[in-house]
Amino acid sequence: MNPEMNHSESNSADKAGPHYWRSLDELADKPAFKDWLHREFPEGASEMDGVNRRNFLKIMAASFAVAGMGAAGCRRPEQNILPYSKQPEGTIPGIPVYFTTSFPDGKDNLPLVVETHQHRPTHIEGNRDFLPYGGAVNRYASASVLNLYDPDRMTSSYEGNRRVSSERIKDVLAGLTAKFSPTKGQGLAILAEPSSSPTRLRLKKLLQKTYPRLVWAEYSPADADNPERAASNLFGRPLRPLYKLEKAKRVLSVDADFLNGEPGSVGMARAFNKGRKVKDQAEAKKMNRLYVVESAFSVTGTMGDHRLRLSTGNMTAFLSLLVADLLELGGGDPRLGSFLKQRAGSLPVDANWIRECARDLLEHGGYGVVVPGSHLPVEAQQLAIYANQLIAANGKTVEYAELPKDESSSLGELATAIREGKIESLLVLGGNPVYDAPADLDWKALQKSVPEVIRHGYYFDETSIEANINIAATHYLESWSDGRTLDGTYVPIQPMILPLFDSFQDLEILARLAGLGVADAYGMVLETFTGEYASTGNADKAFKRLLATGFLPESSFRTFKAGDIRVSEIQENLSRGTLGSRTTTATNLEVRLVPDNSVGTGFYNNNGWLQECPDPITKLTWDNAIMISPALATHLGFDTKAGDFLIGGVSKKSSNFKRGREESRIAELVVDGVTVRGPVHIQPGLDDWTVVLPLGYGRLQVGRVGKGTGFNAYPLSRSGEGLIRNGGQLTLTGEGYRLANTQEHWSMEGRAILREGNVKTYMEDAKFVAHMGMESHSPPVYGHDKGMSAQEKALSTPRGGSSYETPDFGAPPPNVDVWKDPEARAKFIPEQQWGMSIDLNSCTGCNACVVACQSENNIPIVGKDQIMRGREMHWIRLDRYYSSGDLEANRHSLPSDPQASIMPVGCLHCEMAPCEQVCPVNATVHDNQGLNVMAYNRCVGTRYCANNCPYKVRRFNFFDYNKRSTDEFYAGPIGTNQYKTEGAALKSMQKNPDVTVRMRGVMEKCTYCVQRIEQAKIAQRVVAKGDNNINVPDGIIRTACQSACPSEAIVFGDVSDAKSAVSLMKENDRNYSLLGYLNTRPRTTYLARLRNPNPLMPDYDKALSRKEYKSVQATSKDAYHGDESHDGDGGH
Amino acid sequence: MANLFPKWSNAVPLKVIVAVLVLGGSVVAGVTYYFTPKYSRVGYAPKQPVAYNHYLHAEQLGIDCRYCHSHVDESGHANVPDAATCMNCHSQVKKDSPLLEPIRTSYETGEPVEWVRIHKVPDYVYFNHAVHVNRGISCVECHGEINKMETVYHAEPLSMAFCLDCHRNPEEFIRPLDEVYNLNWTPENEAAHEEWAREAVIDWNVNPPQSCSGCHR
Repeated sequence: MNPEMNHSESNSADKAGPHYWRSLDELADKPAFKDWLHREFPEGASEMDGVNRRNFLKIMAASFAVAGMGAAGCRRPEQNILPYSKQPEGTIPGIPVYFTTSFPDGKDNLPLVVETHQHRPTHIEGNRDFLPYGGAVNRYASASVLNLYDPDRMTSSYEGNRRVSSERIKDVLAGLTAKFSPTKGQGLAILAEPSSSPTRLRLKKLLQKTYPRLVWAEYSPADADNPERAASNLFGRPLRPLYKLEKAKRVLSVDADFLNGEPGSVGMARAFNKGRKVKDQAEAKKMNRLYVVESAFSVTGTMGDHRLRLSTGNMTAFLSLLVADLLELGGGDPRLGSFLKQRAGSLPVDANWIRECARDLLEHGGYGVVVPGSHLPVEAQQLAIYANQLIAANGKTVEYAELPKDESSSLGELATAIREGKIESLLVLGGNPVYDAPADLDWKALQKSVPEVIRHGYYFDETSIEANINIAATHYLESWSDGRTLDGTYVPIQPMILPLFDSFQDLEILARLAGLGVADAYGMVLETFTGEYASTGNADKAFKRLLATGFLPESSFRTFKAGDIRVSEIQENLSRGTLGSRTTTATNLEVRLVPDNSVGTGFYNNNGWLQECPDPITKLTWDNAIMISPALATHLGFDTKAGDFLIGGVSKKSSNFKRGREESRIAELVVDGVTVRGPVHIQPGLDDWTVVLPLGYGRLQVGRVGKGTGFNAYPLSRSGEGLIRNGGQLTLTGEGYRLANTQEHWSMEGRAILREGNVKTYMEDAKFVAHMGMESHSPPVYGHDKGMSAQEKALSTPRGGSSYETPDFGAPPPNVDVWKDPEARAKFIPEQQWGMSIDLNSCTGCNACVVACQSENNIPIVGKDQIMRGREMHWIRLDRYYSSGDLEANRHSLPSDPQASIMPVGCLHCEMAPCEQVCPVNATVHDNQGLNVMAYNRCVGTRYCANNCPYKVRRFNFFDYNKRSTDEFYAGPIGTNQYKTEGAALKSMQKNPDVTVRMRGVMEKCTYCVQRIEQAKIAQRVVAKGDNNINVPDGIIRTACQSACPSEAIVFGDVSDAKSAVSLMKENDRNYSLLGYLNTRPRTTYLARLRNPNPLMPDYDKALSRKEYKSVQATSKDAYHGDESHDGDGGH
Repeated sequence: MANLFPKWSNAVPLKVIVAVLVLGGSVVAGVTYYFTPKYSRVGYAPKQPVAYNHYLHAEQLGIDCRYCHSHVDESGHANVPDAATCMNCHSQVKKDSPLLEPIRTSYETGEPVEWVRIHKVPDYVYFNHAVHVNRGISCVECHGEINKMETVYHAEPLSMAFCLDCHRNPEEFIRPLDEVYNLNWTPENEAAHEEWAREAVIDWNVNPPQSCSGCHR
């Protein structure tokens, strides 16, 4: 659909709310009241008798009644209904409209479907029709809707400090055109962010043609172009390697966080997890295997079957040794092998690890793949490309896509031009170079030295201060544009809403600069589309179809048939670079700057959802930290022995970690004389002498949300070195700092909470999950009813051995007369029973679900202070556990090389819910579809339910998180009412109108997206009309977390239907209930995680959580003489 | 020693108890009666910017509810018509009437007509029109005989008890689907209709929600 049609511009929005009389002035407008006022005195007390007194009272009563203070008005103020003047076609109040668009990115636009309520975007999901991504999104795309309604965004253009109209901006741009047309662009420079938009590329080429001397530079702090550079060097044309992980049986990630951070990670996570869906033992044999070599601890690292810690500087040497092994094992050229071995030197790595990994890749001819991190140097990329050739991956698991020709200068080249005084006017399109350019360029001074700087930006940021003219940018949900996914599929960007503020979009600015008469973005996108994709046939029709589907099928880049690279060629290429290993020590640290998992490279710093989204690994919110390994911590003098065991850098014994508060120490990191100060977080699993600093924090000029968060790590960045530095020195300053961390405990203490096993364990014992944990030796949950089918169990909730009354979900309500008749009862169709299954084998911990849930369910942010009191509101949390295999050692120190596993936990909707039994006011009860429901308006806030919940998934509104700003919670009624501020109207536009906005004193928790369930049920009944076809078909209802999940780990549906996807999932051998022995019978169950280690590898025996579990079981078995023969049947 | 308390004081405790009971009882009764929607809402008939006459339009002229309240059978909301809907007829009928001035103004300026809201459930209630009208519940059950009203007023309490009365006894309110928008409809044969309604509830599997999740989200 085309949303360009009539948007309602209701400028009387203020009339929509309740109509109170605001003051006595308004009251005084009523005639009777005026009469009374106009007499000087209300005829005095002396006259207060008889008729006069009655008159007085009558008048008073009349005026108050008229003014809306009568008995009825007292309780319900008058409200207005404001219909459209002319209702736009296709708009039905109350029914959301979904539009396709895409999330702009330099390399990989994510195809999206945006939910709009009366043209107001509220929630973002992926486009499910685009099969490679299958409707998945990442957290940035999900959270970007909040940026649209950010009260801190630039609301108008500025010249100096003066607001200027858009006409003035148009004049400025026309002035530039007039000035630089005669000089062919001499002195004009444009600095832009990388973009995948073909229309922008077209305009850029047009500009380069109009102004041949124009300097067009592109810069992004997280440069991910090295794989393309390497491929282009080797094959002589612009190419992009694409990894087809759905086909891969063996994957080696070399410092690549391809499940989370790399370009295209949404698609790669989905493809990779296709190989990890294990239905039964037969499929377990076919499961893929992931080798991870990395210096930081990434989300991909947690998924690894084998994980090797190695500093990033040694990755090239690692790849050299790998290629040497591949050559040796595959009978390749021995000269190249020995050349590589000699150049690489020695690595602190077990040589067998590399050799066996190489053998495994080679043995799966064509179905192995080496994925290098895009931050690695070009030599490493070339080695990876060559390794993929040696394992015959080309054309199978690796493809090379031909990129369109696109030439830009680098930031360094632009800096040189500025230094030479060649640039008179600089146009900065997006980005934030003053904040994020390599520190050695001193971009701030450079920018100041340019006579005229025009900045087009979404926020008023560090770069804006140093600009002469600031042009407000539109949000992508307000703009027409286009883009391409990683594989080149053409996707549109279409607006959902007219620009909220007087702002421009980049295409319009470029078009005006190019002197195009019509600078309308829609027209330009249509022109690109017509020119490049729909040159034949009806272009308008094709464009409409494009907008309806959200992507253009079969428009991906052409695949380049990569021929074999000759040995001499690769050797020549490599001999120019450095391959050697690098030694790092405690006083010569490797420093890695990485985009933060929450705020990216800094643009999302003012986005509250992302700020409060716990980092997948560290679980830190609102801050970044210098992450150091336990070995480095010991070196720095953290006392691992005396403080019992360490958590994130602090002693548990001295209660330094309390609820969400992590008492951290501030350290100074010095690299080449540049010092950065920040709090230290001890991160198990890091390479011993690598420190990791997330970027994107410590912004100086930022909105109210991002102010004062974290520290800035950009001063350490250097042009030409990427984001990896060497020779760092870290010293503690002795000062402390409080970090907000949502998970204080990191060890399962050997309990079978998150169950995992190796493929071998699974092959030996298909029901191994049932033999873990308490259920293996506690009385079975369903007692004598354990033979029932899962469907019967869901409908009738058998008592088993329990003495409690259990609900009968399958029965009709007892108080409806019609159903009392047994004949009628026989025809009764029971309600569908909702349940969920989460596959821990696929969950990567990427946080997409957390943000999607926040957006769908109006979940507020609470701020750092409240997080430090353990009051985060997320309905779904991702628990991250480390296991080292040695519980005793864990009590004294953090493990250096643990396995990490991640488990999403929301409300599990127990059939026998402990929370319901303790609520004194029946605010949390069960409904007959098996949902554990919260009636907010009944809740009085005793918090007994949260106390009694064994899973700790209930969240309490300690304050009115919507009504008060984060720094005014304790001011109470004295604080500003956020509903009455100007920004409130903007912020409230994001709220989902189908979900209650909760107030202070109310408990809340995951509802299984009950609004979506009820809407689907209603839609089905509307279709059914006079028919009993009222059951919602499987797959129609998708919870927000399920839709967002890139790895399809979450499945939701009707558990009383044996054929539903969720029932089939739950039939899996690996199905288990969390704390099932408590007889809570949760409707959300988990599939145990499997790891697929290679028996030939030196670290085959890890399986650390199993080891911990077994060590506990060994001691508890002696104490408990339960019946071991039971099948644990906690899950169903 | 003389009696400290006079004889009448013997009756005081009883009188106090009776007084407290009577007072307490009347407060409870008073609140139940006066402070519930049955009293406070029923009969609410605010003045509208245009004195739209449902009796004239719906009853005498026989315009179907859905002509103006379009999409009531698709959406949770019963649409309040835009000015353009009024102008469909009133660009020709009574096109100069001063009473229709606000409609014409709205049509010309694009500003909405500020109708005063009459029927409203609390914000935490998610009532859905579509599911009711598509499953045999007529407009009249909640809105009263709106086709007979010259000025619309609040006819039923629309309290939670009011909703549950019907959700617990759907057979008393359900009617044939083609009579849903016929507000004057009454069954020809009371007994036969009762039998039909019982059958309909069973055959359509009408099982209106009685738990919180049905209406509160």
